[in-house]
Amino acid sequence: MESKRMRAGASALTMALLLSACAGAGPGGGGGAFTDDKLVLAVLNDQSGIYKDASGPNTVKAVRMAVADYQQKYGDKAVVTKIEVTSTDHQNKPDIANTKASELYERGGADVILDVPTSSAALAVANQAKNHKRLFLDVSAATTALTGAQCNKYTFQWAYNTYLLANGTGKTVTQNGGRKWTIIYPDYEFGQNMTKSFTEAITKAGGTVQESIPTPFPNENFATFLTKAGSSAPDVIGTMHAGGDLINLVKQFNESGLKDDGVELAVGLMLINDIHSLGVEQFAGTLFTDPWYWNMDAEARAWADRFLAETGTRPSFEHAGNYSAALQYLEAVQAAGTDDADAVIAKLEGKKVNDVFLRNGEIRAQDHSVVHDANLARVKKPGDVKEDWDYEEIVTKIPAAEGFPPAEASGCAMTS
Amino acid sequence: MTVITEAPADAPAPARTPALRWILPAAGLTAALALPWLVYPPVALDIVALALFAIALDLLLGYTGLLSFGHAAFWGSSAYVTGLIATHYGVPFPLAVLGGAVFAMILALPIGYVSVRRSGIYFAMVTLAFAQMVYFIGYQWSDLTGGENGLQGVPRSFFGIEPVETNSFYFYYAALPILLCGMAAAWRIVHSPFGRVLVSIRDNTPRARALGYDVDRYKTIAFVLSAGLTGLAGGVFAISHGFVALTELHWTTSGDVVLMTVLGGIGTLWGGIVGAFLTVMLADQLASSGFHGIDLITGSVFILVVLLFRRGVWGTVRHQWQRRGSARRP
Repeated sequence: MESKRMRAGASALTMALLLSACAGAGPGGGGGAFTDDKLVLAVLNDQSGIYKDASGPNTVKAVRMAVADYQQKYGDKAVVTKIEVTSTDHQNKPDIANTKASELYERGGADVILDVPTSSAALAVANQAKNHKRLFLDVSAATTALTGAQCNKYTFQWAYNTYLLANGTGKTVTQNGGRKWTIIYPDYEFGQNMTKSFTEAITKAGGTVQESIPTPFPNENFATFLTKAGSSAPDVIGTMHAGGDLINLVKQFNESGLKDDGVELAVGLMLINDIHSLGVEQFAGTLFTDPWYWNMDAEARAWADRFLAETGTRPSFEHAGNYSAALQYLEAVQAAGTDDADAVIAKLEGKKVNDVFLRNGEIRAQDHSVVHDANLARVKKPGDVKEDWDYEEIVTKIPAAEGFPPAEASGCAMTS
Repeated sequence: MTVITEAPADAPAPARTPALRWILPAAGLTAALALPWLVYPPVALDIVALALFAIALDLLLGYTGLLSFGHAAFWGSSAYVTGLIATHYGVPFPLAVLGGAVFAMILALPIGYVSVRRSGIYFAMVTLAFAQMVYFIGYQWSDLTGGENGLQGVPRSFFGIEPVETNSFYFYYAALPILLCGMAAAWRIVHSPFGRVLVSIRDNTPRARALGYDVDRYKTIAFVLSAGLTGLAGGVFAISHGFVALTELHWTTSGDVVLMTVLGGIGTLWGGIVGAFLTVMLADQLASSGFHGIDLITGSVFILVVLLFRRGVWGTVRHQWQRRGSARRP
C-alpha cells in the first residue's frame, strides 16, 4: 500500500517535471536585428594536425584582419559594433566537425562558420548549416559535392574545388606528354572527389588513368603505395594528398628512386606552405594550380605584407580566401542591416566581386560556387628565388569560366 | 582479474531502508530530467547514452567477471544500423534504435559464444580481435558505411513532431525513456535469479558448474544482453548526433567505456552513470576552455582513482555508507 502510493506520487512528480521542462524551453531570441546584439564569426578548422599550416591559427588572424578592415571602412556607420571571431579545432574528423558545428550555431551563437578544411568534415558542417539555417562559407574544402549533389542554400564554396585543380594541373600535365597516369589518393571525400575530377580531365585531354590507389587518411608511410603505383610503369604518378600527408609522400617519392625511372610526380593540390616545408629544390619545375599567389600582383602583395607583419609568414591562398569570405560576409551584413541568414544570402547571391582574393569573382546564385580567375603556376628553381617565400612563377591565368564547371553541370538542386 | 574480485558487487541490501530504495532512483530520475537545463542538451544526451553503455559493460565486468575490450563493435554497429534504417526507411527513430540494438544482439551471439570459452586477459583479447574485424568491415565497406567520410545526415524522424526533430532540447526528452528503459532492464537483470547465477559464476565458477549451471550458456546470454543494451545506447547516440563515424567502432571507444566503468565503480551500476558524467563533463569543460590535452587529464584522473579509490567513485561512497551503517547497528 505504502509503496503503491509512493509510486503514484513519484510518477506524478515525474510528469509534472516533464511538463514544466517542456513549457519554458526553446531557443531564446532577442527582438533586435542582431541576435544578442553581436555578430559571431566562427573559424572551424585544423588547429593541430596535418592541415594546420595551410589554414589553421593564421586563418583566425586573417579573419580578424577582415573585421578590422570592415570596422575601419564603415566606422560609425557600421550596422553592428560588436563582432567576435572564435576559433575551434575539428582535428580533421567529420564526426567532431559535425558536433562542433552544431555547438557553434546553438551554443556559440555563431552567425557564420568559416574555413573547414577536410571535405568530409565540410560536408558534415554543410548539413548542420542547412539544419540550423545559418551560413557556412567553405574556403579550404575542395569537394565539388558541396556545390553539387549536396549543395544547400546556406553553404557557399569560396576559393576552389577539385574541378579547378584537375582542369589546371591534370589537363596541362597530360597535354605536356604525361599520358599514362597512376593516381594515389587519401581514401576520404576529398581524395575520392579529386580522383574523379582528375580522371575526367585527364581522359578529356587524351590521357589514361591506369590505376587509382587509395591510402588511409591521415597516413605516415606511403612506401608500399608508391611501389605499387610504380609497378604499372606510368608516365605520371598523381598524388591527391594535401598538407602533412603530401609532405610525407613527396619525401618518400624522392627517396624511392621512381624519379630515376623517368616517372614524374604531379601534385593535385599544393599550397605555398608545402613548398616552404620541403624547400623549392624538391619541387622545382612542378606545374600546379594555385587559385591565388601572394606575389601575383601589387594588390595581393600589399595584403601579404600586412599578413606577414601580423603572422610572420606569407599567406597561402586559403588564408586570403578566408579573409575575402569574411570581408564579403561583413559587407553583405552591412547591406542587409541584420545578421538574419536569409537576408544576408539575398545580398550575397549573384554578386560580382573584386577584392584581394577574388578577381572577376562572382558569387553564383545557382549553386553557391564562388567563381574567379585562378593561376597555373610553376615552382621556381632554387637559383631564381629572390626573397623568402618567392617560390612561384605564374605561367598563365585560368579564367573563371574555364576553371570552374558551368552552373548547369554542377548537379545542384538548390532547395533550402 | 584481481580488480574485479576486489569490488564488493551487489553488496547485501538489508542495510537499505525502503525509503532509501525509492530516494535513490527518484533522485536519479530528477537529475536525468533536470540535466538538459544544466548542461547543453546534446552533451546531456551523450552523458545518458554513455552511462547506459557503461552500465551494459558493467553487467559483464562487474557482475559476470568478464572484461570485454570489444564493446565498440556493438556500440558502433548498432549506430550504423540505426543510422542506415533511419536514412533509408525514414521510420521514427525509436524503431531505428530498436533495429540497431537487435542487430547488436545478433552480432553478439557468435562473438559471445566463442569468447566466453576463455576468461581474463584471453577473453579481453578475443573480444578486441572481433571488434577490430568489425571495424575493418566498417572501414572497407564504404558504399554502405561511408568509410572515412562517415554516415552523414542521419535524420531524426519522430512522428512528424517538429520540435523533437529539430530541437535537441526536446529530442533529449524523447530519447531519454529509451535509455532509462535500458537502465531499468540492467537493474532487473542484476536483481533477478539469473543475475544471482552470474554473480556466483563470477565468484566461483567451478562451484557454479558443480551446482549444475551451464556456465558458458549463462555467460553467452549475459554477453548478448549486454550487447543489446550497448546497442540501444549506440543507436540513440547516432540519432542524437545525426552522424555515424568510424570512431564509434574504433578500439579507443571500447577503452573509453572501460575507463568510465572503472572510474565510477565496477559492479555498482550507478557507477557507470557517475563515470560517464565525469568523463563527458570533463571533456566538454576542457574543450570549451581551449585546452588540447584532454586525454592527459582524464588519464591522470583514472590513475588517481585506481590508486586511491579502487572501488571507483560510487563504489567508495557506497562502501563508506555501508560501513557507517553496519557500525551503528549492534
